[in-house]
Amino acid sequence: MLAKEIEREGIPTVFVTSLPTIATMIGVNRILRGPAITHPFGLDEKERRCIVERALEMLETDIEATTVWEAA
Amino acid sequence: MVKVVHYLNQFFAGLGGEEAAGTPPTRLEGSAGPGRGLAAALEGGEIVGTLACGDDYFAEHEEEALSRLLELLAADGADVLVCGPAFGSGRFGYACARLAAAAPIPALAAMHEENPGVAATEGRAFVVPTAANVGGMRDALPRMARLALALGSGRELGPPGEEGYLPRGFRRNVRADKVGAERAIDLLLAKLAGETRTEVAGGFDRVAPPPSVTDLSRALLALVTEAGCVPQGNPDRLPAIRAQGWLRYPIAGERGLERARYESVHGGFDVTLANEDPNRLVPLDVVRALEDEGRIGRIHDTFYTTTGNGTPVAASTRFGREIATELRDAGVEAVLLSGT
Amino acid sequence: MGWELATFPAALLGDVPDLEGVDSSVVRPGEPIRITHVLDAVEPRIRPDGRPAFPTVDKAGAGRTNRLDGVVVLPCLDFMDEERPLHEQESLVDMAGPGAELTPFARMTAVVLSFRPQPGIGNGAFEEEARRTTLRVAEDLARPTLAAEPEHVETFALGSVDEGLPAVAALVQLSDLGPLYYQYLYGVPVGDAGLPRIVEPAELMDGSVTSGEYHWAALRNPTLFFQRSSLVRALYREHGKRLRFAGLVLMRGYEQSAADKQRAAEAAAELAVDLGAEGAILTADAGGNSHTDVMLTCRACEEAGVRTTVVIAEMADPDATNPGLTDWVPEADAIVSVGNADELVEAWRPERVLGGDVLLDGTPAAEAGPIPVRNYLGATNQTGQLELTAVTW
Repeated sequence: MLAKEIEREGIPTVFVTSLPTIATMIGVNRILRGPAITHPFGLDEKERRCIVERALEMLETDIEATTVWEAA
Repeated sequence: MVKVVHYLNQFFAGLGGEEAAGTPPTRLEGSAGPGRGLAAALEGGEIVGTLACGDDYFAEHEEEALSRLLELLAADGADVLVCGPAFGSGRFGYACARLAAAAPIPALAAMHEENPGVAATEGRAFVVPTAANVGGMRDALPRMARLALALGSGRELGPPGEEGYLPRGFRRNVRADKVGAERAIDLLLAKLAGETRTEVAGGFDRVAPPPSVTDLSRALLALVTEAGCVPQGNPDRLPAIRAQGWLRYPIAGERGLERARYESVHGGFDVTLANEDPNRLVPLDVVRALEDEGRIGRIHDTFYTTTGNGTPVAASTRFGREIATELRDAGVEAVLLSGT
Repeated sequence: MGWELATFPAALLGDVPDLEGVDSSVVRPGEPIRITHVLDAVEPRIRPDGRPAFPTVDKAGAGRTNRLDGVVVLPCLDFMDEERPLHEQESLVDMAGPGAELTPFARMTAVVLSFRPQPGIGNGAFEEEARRTTLRVAEDLARPTLAAEPEHVETFALGSVDEGLPAVAALVQLSDLGPLYYQYLYGVPVGDAGLPRIVEPAELMDGSVTSGEYHWAALRNPTLFFQRSSLVRALYREHGKRLRFAGLVLMRGYEQSAADKQRAAEAAAELAVDLGAEGAILTADAGGNSHTDVMLTCRACEEAGVRTTVVIAEMADPDATNPGLTDWVPEADAIVSVGNADELVEAWRPERVLGGDVLLDGTPAAEAGPIPVRNYLGATNQTGQLELTAVTW
């Protein structure tokens, strides 16, 4: 899947999804659980900012293996 | 008469042992070494020439070696190329595999099924399995001859089991002797009795997590989405399912994804909310604000989009590699990827 | 006291009623005809006791139901309105040629109902009318059986059998992805039908489940595949022989959030446990997202101690050496592949086209091809109805 191939190039990537289970099986490393399939980045700008901030934090964090963070 | 060209390494071609491993590609008239046994097994075929190359030479000068060998191959006007048997020899197996895969005519390579050369064919040539060492020569040659004749005659090949080659990994539909439901009962009862079998396997490799971004305030960040976000009207016709590709769109100077200008064509979820505000899928509005505030260095002026609906791993892997290459070439240092 | 299914020969098929707004045709098995925009496939059924063949109130699976053997009703409809939340996919039945082998309909007498476009009616209303009409016609076509003697009668009952035999449940997935993508349980979209839920296996075969979903032609289950469920029939047959048929759970595919998916997966596994199942066969419907649901359910079952087999279609690039599973969990180690939906079927020129002359992608139906298996109705259905599978070459 896309995230893994971008990671393979050494570019830190955060995959934001409401369905982390399959992504963890596939082996994506940085996964952020978003609120729903229909709006993974949140409904309004405020919620979106929280989610994006979490994603940025994840980009700034070293991780060892597949990690799932909650957006909220 | 099916015309066969045979490829061997320096040892089997009679050019010498390890000391001759650096021999560049060369051609011998007719058959050499095990080629004689192969020729004898080729009913209705003949070996018109033997190509040989030192294992070390090939390993160290692969491009030149291939180029020269393919030249020599073309000169003979053969119908089929037979490489090996390499048995368990890794370097020889690799050379056989690369040459067979690169050949513009039907080709087979023979080696032990655990020889790393098998993977090096990448499905583009047929591999005849052999024993792990030269003791398997008498067994291997007739089987190689049989497949060579089949390939050289141009007839369509049957399944691996029938024709004597290792499965190459292509999935093909066939009619089973029982309906799927009955096969499911058989598989389940077997599993309950301790024997687990499957008709298709899953599985994924692991990629090391890229190191964190040291200074995001100076980093170039790109936005990518599998949620099918495209300009209103889907001008490039990104398919809703089974995307055959991906697209890129400019977002330089845009403050956010305006509802009137973008929509989602993903066929696997209700896109009403996303169409009301495309930033819900690709958060450009927030990310742009963070760029203004200095939290993020710069937003890449292109975003990438595809639909992750029903895309099998093979395709999304290919798209991922293509997109990743572009991102890398553009100097992108971090990516936010929205899935569904 | 089981359910009786009485079989009557196709010869009893009478005249197809004249319907307003519908062009009807009767196609004999093997005629060189391509049928496009096929919504569903329904077997003619009627109940001698006068209760509906496709009930919405009464419980199915009891008493007797008559069926017309070797006849199928194929409703066709080209949706006019482009405004829909998801995208439809072309759905074909070829009654001859290379595509004919992919579905069982080419060996049947097909009553094709082509619903003519009606301007001014939205897709939802148009579809509902077409679906109701189809089910009504399916019942009417079976009416002559009321005055005839059946060829044979099957009784479906689960008596007590050797407790030492392994207990096997069927977990059957039904889809609900919103309007135009519903399957119905007793006329209710399955997302509103309280799934996952245990039903009598005979209910599944007796008209309780009907189809109103119009994507993933090859991977979806038309109504007929539930009426004639190879899986449920096989489990009844094996009951007392190699296994005990523990029962049937209906579960929903396309739960819309990760939490819902996980919750539903665990609930389905719990029902399998409640049925006393040691093993379960999990089926799927349609593709993409619904495969996630079935894989999560597989995992939940295995974690609950119920061993599983999963029935799934592949979408493998025919030119690439990668397996075509879109979703997978390590617990899914016993998978039945019902074939690769991405394989291409060679082009074929029918003598006549019914349903609509132009495919959804704009190509003339009579000249289209090669066509992916994916567009043939039910070809790679994931209830194990047919014999197609894939092997590695």
